[in-house]
Amino acid sequence: MATDTEQRSDHDLMLAVRHGELDALGELFERHHSRLFGFLAQLTGQPAVAEDLAQTVFQRMLKYRHTYRDDGRFTAWMYHLARRCAADHFRKTGAAPRATDPGVLDELADESPHAGHQAASRDDRALLQTALNQLDRDDREVLLLSRFEELSFAEIAHLLECSVGAAKVRAHRALGELRTVYFQLLKSR
Amino acid sequence: MNCETAAALLPELIDARTDAAAHVEVRQHLAHCPHCQREFSDLRRTLAALEEAAPLPSSALRRNFYAMLEEEKHSAASAAVARPRSIFSSRWGWLLAPALAAITLLAGFQLGARFGTTPPATAPVVTDDATRRELAALRQQVGQMSQLVGYSLLQQQQGPANERLREVLVAAQAEKPGAKILDELIVALAFDPSANIRLRALEALYAHSDNAAVRAGVVAALPREQNPLVQLELIDFVATAREREAAPLLERMSREDSLDQSVRAAARRALAQL
Ligand SMILES: [Zn+2]
Repeated sequence: MATDTEQRSDHDLMLAVRHGELDALGELFERHHSRLFGFLAQLTGQPAVAEDLAQTVFQRMLKYRHTYRDDGRFTAWMYHLARRCAADHFRKTGAAPRATDPGVLDELADESPHAGHQAASRDDRALLQTALNQLDRDDREVLLLSRFEELSFAEIAHLLECSVGAAKVRAHRALGELRTVYFQLLKSR
Repeated sequence: MNCETAAALLPELIDARTDAAAHVEVRQHLAHCPHCQREFSDLRRTLAALEEAAPLPSSALRRNFYAMLEEEKHSAASAAVARPRSIFSSRWGWLLAPALAAITLLAGFQLGARFGTTPPATAPVVTDDATRRELAALRQQVGQMSQLVGYSLLQQQQGPANERLREVLVAAQAEKPGAKILDELIVALAFDPSANIRLRALEALYAHSDNAAVRAGVVAALPREQNPLVQLELIDFVATAREREAAPLLERMSREDSLDQSVRAAARRALAQL
């Protein structure tokens, strides 16, 4: 029964999808789409693009469901697909992320039912995104991946094809860089 | 330990995945060094800002996802090797599904009020007489079909009583049910294989049609719904709630040849009401 999905782990749900129970993907969408979208929006700096990419990630989960492994971890696989989608996007557009129009972020946030997220002013959000955009794409990516503490550094290292130690150093260095740029922007405004 | 060495390790201290017992010397230095404390608090503020700045998706993402999922299910089904032709694939298929749902309704729950003359107390008044007449006509058709189908199919459909949903439905009657309860109802509306349960979930959601998340959930369920009876109820909901987000979808449905004629007509009428 579909209402049993609440007790099922992400992994079990994805295995069910693999075995043809496509509706199980709906529960996975409900659990993860917000964070996935947040990751893609901050990585690209373009919420509209991020919505398309997030949709593509879920599409690929269906398309490649047979490649999901018995010993897999769903979130790691999701971010693996997300990185690939984002890389495709960057390759196609050759785009560095643009400075985000604060109005866009505000509009998106206003549609959300979670009022808590609106605590930060639109200026603060735009400023942080501007700071993020100034980081190298690789640094931004490792920082955003590590921000999701649902991924272990072993998983991040696997995604980035580097050692665990290197993943840690890169993520922590990127945070330090973001802090520098962010506080410069804060002071100069 | 000097400040430079300590500062390089501060991001690691902030990380929740770092062992609390690790980097004792850095922690000791931090406890006594105002300079590093400031640096530490700046990092913390940066991380919090990063979290705060993550935008949330618009409701279009959910809508598009369920439309995509539905499409994928259809192509997966048509790609499957020739299955034995079931009674459901006949031209009566669309009628049979609601027939079974309706029989279950009449047997198990007193949902009659939704279709009868008295609207349920929790729901906004359904003003559209034409819709109600149509539902009554559909119900009659359904009744005739049920005699044709017999009760053996019904047995298969009913399955074990859904205790969990019953609890949710009771909880939903509270003055202010939590977001989790509403989420469960939305999930049931979108996923439950039983049309009966989907109708029950929708009925419970009526009382919360002023909640934007509830309306978005109902709009998301609409394109996935295959059962004409439930489709009519969903359209009724968005029309009553005046959910303008549903306009493009209703527009499409009103022109969609594969949909039942009464559903197309209801979509057209709902568009006028938005
Ligand atoms: Zn110091």
